[in-house]
Amino acid sequence: MARRSQGTKLHLAVLCLVVSCHAIGLSDLMERASQRSDQLPVLGMFSFSLDSHFPPMGRVMMPRPSMCHTSSLQTPKDKEQALRVSENELISLARSLLLAWNDPLLLLSSEAPTLPHPSNGDISSKIRELQDYSKSLGDGLDILVNKMGPSSQYISSIPFKGGDLGNDKTSRLINFHFLMSCFRRDSHKIDSFLKVLRCRATKMRPETC
Amino acid sequence: MWGEVGGALVLLLLSEVLDCIGISPPGKPVLINCRSPEKETFTCRWDPGFDGGLPTTHHLYYQKEDSYGMYECPDYQAAGSNSCFFNKSHTSIWVNYNITVVAINSLGSTVSDPLEVDVMYIVQPNAPENVTVSVVETEESPHLLVKWEPPHEADTRSGWITLTYQLRVKRQNKKESEWEEYASGKQTQLIIYSLHPGEVYMVQLRCKLDHSLWSEWSTTTHTEVPDYFLKERSIWIVVTVFSAFIILLVTFTLAMKRKYVKHCLLPPVPGPKISGLDTQLLKSGRSEDILSSLINQGFPPTIATKDQQVDYLLVFDSEQVTPDLQNGQTRTNNSIDHGCYDHSLLMEANNKEVKVGGRETVEQGYSEGLESTFRKTKGLSTDVTSHPYPQKKPFNNVTETPKQATVSSKYRSLSHHKDLWDSLARHLDYRETVVKSQSNCDDKHNLSSQNIVTPSKDIGYVEVHRWTKSIGLKVLVPKMDKRQDYSKVSVVENDNVVLLKRETVPLNCTSCKVGGNQSEKCLQQKPCKPNMTVPAKEGVHIGSNGYVEPVTMSHTL
Repeated sequence: MARRSQGTKLHLAVLCLVVSCHAIGLSDLMERASQRSDQLPVLGMFSFSLDSHFPPMGRVMMPRPSMCHTSSLQTPKDKEQALRVSENELISLARSLLLAWNDPLLLLSSEAPTLPHPSNGDISSKIRELQDYSKSLGDGLDILVNKMGPSSQYISSIPFKGGDLGNDKTSRLINFHFLMSCFRRDSHKIDSFLKVLRCRATKMRPETC
Repeated sequence: MWGEVGGALVLLLLSEVLDCIGISPPGKPVLINCRSPEKETFTCRWDPGFDGGLPTTHHLYYQKEDSYGMYECPDYQAAGSNSCFFNKSHTSIWVNYNITVVAINSLGSTVSDPLEVDVMYIVQPNAPENVTVSVVETEESPHLLVKWEPPHEADTRSGWITLTYQLRVKRQNKKESEWEEYASGKQTQLIIYSLHPGEVYMVQLRCKLDHSLWSEWSTTTHTEVPDYFLKERSIWIVVTVFSAFIILLVTFTLAMKRKYVKHCLLPPVPGPKISGLDTQLLKSGRSEDILSSLINQGFPPTIATKDQQVDYLLVFDSEQVTPDLQNGQTRTNNSIDHGCYDHSLLMEANNKEVKVGGRETVEQGYSEGLESTFRKTKGLSTDVTSHPYPQKKPFNNVTETPKQATVSSKYRSLSHHKDLWDSLARHLDYRETVVKSQSNCDDKHNLSSQNIVTPSKDIGYVEVHRWTKSIGLKVLVPKMDKRQDYSKVSVVENDNVVLLKRETVPLNCTSCKVGGNQSEKCLQQKPCKPNMTVPAKEGVHIGSNGYVEPVTMSHTL
C-alpha cells in the first residue's frame, strides 16, 4: 500500500510537472481574461429599453448611481489614479467587483420572469447568460491570481442588502433598471482594470496594449 | 395685499412694455451633448437659444455625484464658443456629472435642463489619422495595403484605451456600388484583395474605444489601381482562342484526309516477295503444299564445295542401322564405276524417308536444280509445264509422307514419273551410260523398271538409275566431263546481255603458252591442235526464272 501511494504521488508529481510545463503563460491568461470581460453582454440588457416603460415621473424618485451597493469600494476615478494603482490591487478590485455581483444576479434571475415587461423571457435568458459569463471570468481570474502570487489574492467583500426589487410593478421595473445600470458601470470598471493590467503584464510588447 | 397685487401688475406692464421694445430675458439654452475623445477629458456643448435681444452670457455649472457643491466650467474657450472643456484634472470617470447651463442677461437668467453625464458613456474617439493607401503589385494579383494611425490624443500605450478599427472601400467609377466594410480589430493596417484593374478606390476608416460610439469616418483616400493586369489577361485570351481555332482547323483537315494521313504515317509494309513463293498456295492452307513450297526455295543459298558434294547418301530410318549405311555408302560411291550395284539399296532408300544430318541444305540445292532442269525439258507432263512460273505443287499421284516432305519425297515423286527417263535422256545435259550387269549380282528383288533418282555430284543435277533386265543398269548422268565452274564475265553489253569468258583446256593438251619465251617450258607430248584452243562462243540467255544462265555451246573435240 505504501508503495502504491508513493507511486501515485510520484505519478501526480510528474503530471503536475507536465501540466505546469504546458501551462499558459501569464500574459496569455491576461489576454483571455480581458477578452472575456470585454465580451460581457451587459449592454444587451439595455436594448430592451426598460426605461421607456417607466411611468412619467420626476427624476427625483429615481435611485441615484451613488446608491449602487458597490460604490463603497474605492476605485480609481481617472487614468492617473488607475495607472498609479499596483497590479495586485487592480486584480483585487476586479475580483471584488465581480464577486459582489453574484448575489444580485441571482436575485435578478429569480425576478426576471415575473417582470412586467413584454419581453421578460428574453430578459431572463439574458440574465442567465450574464451569470455564465461572470462565472467563467471569475474562474479565470482565480487561476490568474494563483500565478501572480499570494499578495494579489485579497478580495474585499461587498455585501448586497437588497432583498427584493419592490412590491409594485413600477418600483420593480425601476429597481431592475437601476441594478442593471450599476452592473454595467462595474463591468466597465472591471474591463478597464484588466486591460491596464494586461498592458503592464506584457511589458516587452507595448504594441499589444 | 394691495401692494403685492400692485407689484405684480407693474411687472406685467413692464414685461409687456419690454416685449414691445423687443428685449427679454434669454431663452433656455439646451445642452447638446458632451463628448470625451480619449477617456481623459470631455467637452460639453450647448445651444444658447434666444438671447432676448440683450447681450447674454452663459455659464455652465456641474455637480459631481460623489462630492458636494456646484462648480463652474473650468474652460469656456478651449473648445470654441458655447462649449465647456473639462481637462484631465477635472475629469473623473465612473462618476455622474450633473451639468446645467445658465443664460444670463440684464433682464434675467434662464437655466437649461440638467444633463446626467458619465464619462464612460460619452466616449467617442476622433477618426484615425495618416491614412495611407498603396498598391502592392505582386505577380499574381495586386492588392491594396492600407495603413493608418490612431488619433493622436488617444493613449494606447498604457492600456487605458483599446481601439478597434473599421474600414470601408468603394469603387469610385461604379455608380451603384456600395461601401464594403471590413473589421480590422486592433491592427493598424489591412490588405484588400480582389481589385479591379484601372479603377479608383475610395477608402475610409473609423475607430471605436472599447464599447464606445464609433468615430466619424476619416477623410476619403483615393487610389488608382493600374490596369496592366487586364491587358495581360486579354492577350492570353486572344492567344487561347486563336490556338483553339487552329487546332480545330487542323483536326478537321486531318479528318477529311484520313486515308492520306494514314498512308503517310503508317506506310504499307511490302509483302514478302520470295522468288518462287506462291501466296495463293499458302492461303489454300494445305500443309504439305506449304512445306514443300518452302523447302523448294534456294534458301539458304549455298555454294557447294567439294566437301559437301556427293558423299550424300543413303541413310535409312532409325530401325535400319548403320552397318547398312556404311555399306551403302561405300557401294554407292563406287556405284557407277564398279561392279555390283546394289540397286536394291537405292530402291529402299528412295522408298523411305531419308534423313541426312547436316546435309539437307545440300539436298535442297539439288532439288531446286532438279526442278529447274525438269522445267527446261519440254514434253513433260502437263503437271509441270502447265505452270510457267515456279510451281510448288508436287505431282499429284505421289503418295508422300505428309509430315516431312523431305528431299527424297521429291526424288521419289520424280522417279515415278513415266516420262522421266525419256525426257532426261533427251536433255542436253544428260547422257546415258550403261553399267553392265554382273553375273554375281543377283537379282534379289524382283525389280521392275523403275527409275531411281539420286542427286549427283554436281549441283542441280540428278542421276537416274534404271534397271533393265536385259541391258542391265542404265544410268543417266549429267554430262559433266569437264569441270564447269562459274564463268567469268568479260563484258556487259546491254541490260540483259553479258559476255562470259571461258577458258577451255583442250584435251590431251597441256597448258602451253603460245608464243613467247615460255615455250621451252611447255612440255609438248602432242602438238596442240589449233582449233582446239579456239575459245568457244559464249552467250547468255535468261532463264525462265529470271536468272542469267550461261549457255554452253556444244564442244566438239
